[in-house]
Amino acid sequence: MLKTYKILISGQVQGVGFRPYVFGLANSYNLTGTVSNNEEGVIVYATGNTSNIFSFYNDLIENPPKVSKIQTHTISETEIKEFLDFQIIPSQKEGKLNLQLTPDFAICDDCKQEISDSDNRRFQYPFTTCVNCGPRWAITKTFPFERAHTNMLDFNMCGTCQEEYSNISNRRFHSQTNSCPNCGIQIHLTDAEGVSLNIPKASIFKEVAALIKKGHSIAIKNTGGYLLCCDASNKEAIKTLRLKKNRPNKPLAILYPSLNLLKDHFEITGYQERALTSSESPIVIIPKGNYKGYLMVDDLAPNLNQIGVMLPYSGILQLLANELERPIVATSGNVHGSPIIASAEVAKTELNRIADYFLHHNLEIAHSQDDSVIKFSPEFDHKVIFRRSRGLAPNFFGSVISDETILAMGSHLKSTIAFLPNDYLYISQYLGNLDNFEVYNRFTETVSKFIDLFEQNPTVILTDAHPSYHSSQYGKEFAKNKRIKQYDIQHHKAHFASVLGEHNLFESDAPILGVVWDGTGYGDDGQIWGGEFFRYQLNKMERIAHFEYFDWLAADKMSKEPRLSLFSLADEEIEGHCSKQFSKEEWKVYKTLKKKNTLKTSSVGRLFDAVASLLNICHNNTYEGEAAILLENYVTDYSIENCKLYCSALEHSQIPTKTLLMNLYEDFKRGASKSDVIVNFIYTLANLVFQVADLQNLNHIALSGGVFQNTMLIDMLKNIAKNDYTLYFNCNLSPNDENISHGQMMYYLNIKQS
Amino acid sequence: MDIQKLGYDSINLGHGSGGLMTRDLLDNMIFNTFSNPFLNQKHDGSIVKFNNPIAISTDSFVVSPIFFKGGNIGELAVNGTVNDVAMCGAIPKYLSLAFIIEEGLKINEFRDILNSIKKAADTSQVQIITGDTKVVERGKGDKIFINTTGFGEVHPKANISTDNIKVGDKIILNGQIAQHGMAIMSQRQGLEFESDIISDTTNLNFLIKDLLDRFGKDIHFFRDPTRGGLSSVLSEIATDINNGILIFENKLPIEKQVAAACEILGLDPLYVANEGVFLTIVEASIADEVVDLMRKDDKGKNAVCIGEITKDHSGKVVMNSHIGGKRIVSPLMGEQLPRIC
Ligand SMILES: [Fe+3]
Ligand SMILES: [Mg+2]
Ligand SMILES: [Zn+2]
Ligand SMILES: [Zn+2]
Repeated sequence: MLKTYKILISGQVQGVGFRPYVFGLANSYNLTGTVSNNEEGVIVYATGNTSNIFSFYNDLIENPPKVSKIQTHTISETEIKEFLDFQIIPSQKEGKLNLQLTPDFAICDDCKQEISDSDNRRFQYPFTTCVNCGPRWAITKTFPFERAHTNMLDFNMCGTCQEEYSNISNRRFHSQTNSCPNCGIQIHLTDAEGVSLNIPKASIFKEVAALIKKGHSIAIKNTGGYLLCCDASNKEAIKTLRLKKNRPNKPLAILYPSLNLLKDHFEITGYQERALTSSESPIVIIPKGNYKGYLMVDDLAPNLNQIGVMLPYSGILQLLANELERPIVATSGNVHGSPIIASAEVAKTELNRIADYFLHHNLEIAHSQDDSVIKFSPEFDHKVIFRRSRGLAPNFFGSVISDETILAMGSHLKSTIAFLPNDYLYISQYLGNLDNFEVYNRFTETVSKFIDLFEQNPTVILTDAHPSYHSSQYGKEFAKNKRIKQYDIQHHKAHFASVLGEHNLFESDAPILGVVWDGTGYGDDGQIWGGEFFRYQLNKMERIAHFEYFDWLAADKMSKEPRLSLFSLADEEIEGHCSKQFSKEEWKVYKTLKKKNTLKTSSVGRLFDAVASLLNICHNNTYEGEAAILLENYVTDYSIENCKLYCSALEHSQIPTKTLLMNLYEDFKRGASKSDVIVNFIYTLANLVFQVADLQNLNHIALSGGVFQNTMLIDMLKNIAKNDYTLYFNCNLSPNDENISHGQMMYYLNIKQS
Repeated sequence: MDIQKLGYDSINLGHGSGGLMTRDLLDNMIFNTFSNPFLNQKHDGSIVKFNNPIAISTDSFVVSPIFFKGGNIGELAVNGTVNDVAMCGAIPKYLSLAFIIEEGLKINEFRDILNSIKKAADTSQVQIITGDTKVVERGKGDKIFINTTGFGEVHPKANISTDNIKVGDKIILNGQIAQHGMAIMSQRQGLEFESDIISDTTNLNFLIKDLLDRFGKDIHFFRDPTRGGLSSVLSEIATDINNGILIFENKLPIEKQVAAACEILGLDPLYVANEGVFLTIVEASIADEVVDLMRKDDKGKNAVCIGEITKDHSGKVVMNSHIGGKRIVSPLMGEQLPRIC
């Protein structure tokens, strides 16, 4: 007997070829009916016999299209509807939008093949895409994902493209980004002054490759914004780029032309390979220890035993790779501290001092994004997100129900925003340091774009408790003007709430230990927190312990100069050891300052700094987090059996910060190698987590904050935890301040305000 | 004034009683020092005559230490109020002067303060026409607090108001920033820098008068960025005028040792208090002449145009940073707390 069932699927199901896939599958099960997008996701009506429909349903759920991600799915019988065949019907907009945004997808193998094939009509066409690949969020203006709602609207499909678009059996059926050399996006090559080089289209990539080989740097407009590129095997070119970008030591990411060449040069793990070739296609930080290639790896990542690499994720990068066949530097096209540039106008005036040539195109970018950055821990292959942007943003896979429309303003230095306009929580890409005016503009524009996109005005604003974060000031002003509620949420509580949220732990019966270690955050007591222990149970969160306070000296300068952290923590003896890092004038001033200082901190980030300075590894950072990165990179090998502790948690779970450092110094003085000292330090930190857990009788432990970007620490923790403890880390979000907006949201929704 | 004759060497509660001891203190120290026809009437107040609209400004001075390199609380109390009156586009004429003294203040110190007040008042050509003295118990004050109220006649050519500020106007500073705040801070905290940092407290009323004489209504605004520093004053103006302010970091005048001290302490000089510094916002066409005129005066020898009023980023102050890129300058919120992770 014929019956009709209604199937609802939500998640990342739009702009990913879901409907054509359903169409094909339904036909193979001999079903009639319809499939369409709506505000909730994808809706299917299928008429046939029940067992057929259920086989179809199970098949669909278990084997969905490649780049889709199903979040919820339901099937229910409805009144019988008769259809002649199975049809795709156009998207409908009814009521409130309630579906996920789709991130950008790296170019797929089929499209790569086409642009590299001289017989194909898309040979050398850099914007070749299909339902499985291409930009999405980067060009999204409104909802849902239809061509007319994107910047592809500027381009009219030619007859052939239109045919592909309408042909159900074509890979480009309903592909919103479909275009070809005849109807699509145009590229052009100019010099730094903007004068066109007049190169025939067919040889542009050959020419770009030749310029790079000659040692020039080129600003290339990609799908997320401009990239600055130069030959990664040319020492001079790298030096010049560093100089012009005012970036003396910060590592540069390398774009490899192919996985094969990458594997010739580096040993990579299966996890790293899968990440590199995934549709997210991030920069993956890999060890450079056994480097077998010809690159200037020490100039690319000075003093580090790791390097960030990626593979061509767009047609432009693939075509360049085809011509160049060698790795290039590919770093965000921006000026010191400003956001990645996405518009040609800005690029022409800002990047002409850095780049010798420009490769422009005329597809407008609606949401500029940097490349995402991830790393796997060496022993447990634990994935850490360092920067969540292209391919990962804006959607975060969590559905949240609330009557309120909540907008969380996030942090200051690694700014993101979180928005809850419907049943999905959206977290923006990494926006940058809000001290920078252009970043601040990008931040406020992102707020407006989110509000416009979903046509939902926020009813609640959440901000960090720090009084001078620009995000907090903006949020308060916004709330005041719109006369809506606004709440401050303490920084480290937000970090903790973020991990709890990622793992759905708010409903957990067992109490949970929160370990939040980072550089700085404004504490409830007006001090600078950063080494915190919390206890969560039944919607209550309390701070139970912290690293013993030490002096916070010289405002933001202390974060930039590890020598100051060491000085702050130093007893008389260590002072003797570190005094040579200061001028006479500085020394006199800081000695006096330390006596009279009232601002205190529990920051573990600053403890890392102090250790780096004590070991003479880094006294002054040239980029954010340098000291901690250098520390981790200093260690090549260790065995946990030989590790020893520099201190233990005190009976009230407090951590004796200065004792730790004194014992560390004793060990170093007695001749322990720097590498051993670092390993023992990390081992001590890892053990402190479990000591506090035992003292508090807790075995579920959630860890967040910038310190947990340290993969050695993560491996140590996992080694020690065995099966006695359950550890939770941020997984779809970075542990650093990028997760603050999410944490603010989670805290507000789940924690009882006392 | 002769201390021996007084028969005591520090202020005590009796001096605030209103009785003979008070009389004694006033006669021998205050009236002696400031002798003028108004005060000499020894009445409850003074009657003065003005021909033009008057500008009135009041300020209370609490500073620790009360004696610092480059000055003391006394001249600060005069210059501060004289300058506030001048910033209204007025010519300061009279001051009221009120003390709240903590029991135990040394007569020597009080005398030095009075002398400084006298000298500063003479320099700015203002007369002290009324006053008050109270004494509080030990621990209930901090040596000495001073309140002054200034009265001045508005300059006939002046029209000073945020309403006059418009897009394109130039912002000009007369001198180097952060000097006073750093002088006080280093002394309070006992910080020793390579060379001493000296407060630049001074009266600005004559330079203001010269500017008004010459440029009149083309001068749109005056302001002295004292507490909260330059950033707070500029932010306030940007909010008030509903336009933006753009300043250039490489134009900001700052003395080398002051800059070095700020750098060592991790302080942003834009947030440090000033004395002896004012900013004026003027018609773009006269900006160069204003700078020239100021530079001829000792109190304006470091004058420089630091920025302008913009249509963009309304309500916000933005600084073109010398390392490239633009930075947002927000008003001071309490102390300078670290934000970098
Ligand atoms: Fe943090
Ligand atoms: Mg005042
Ligand atoms: Zn494709
Ligand atoms: Zn076409």
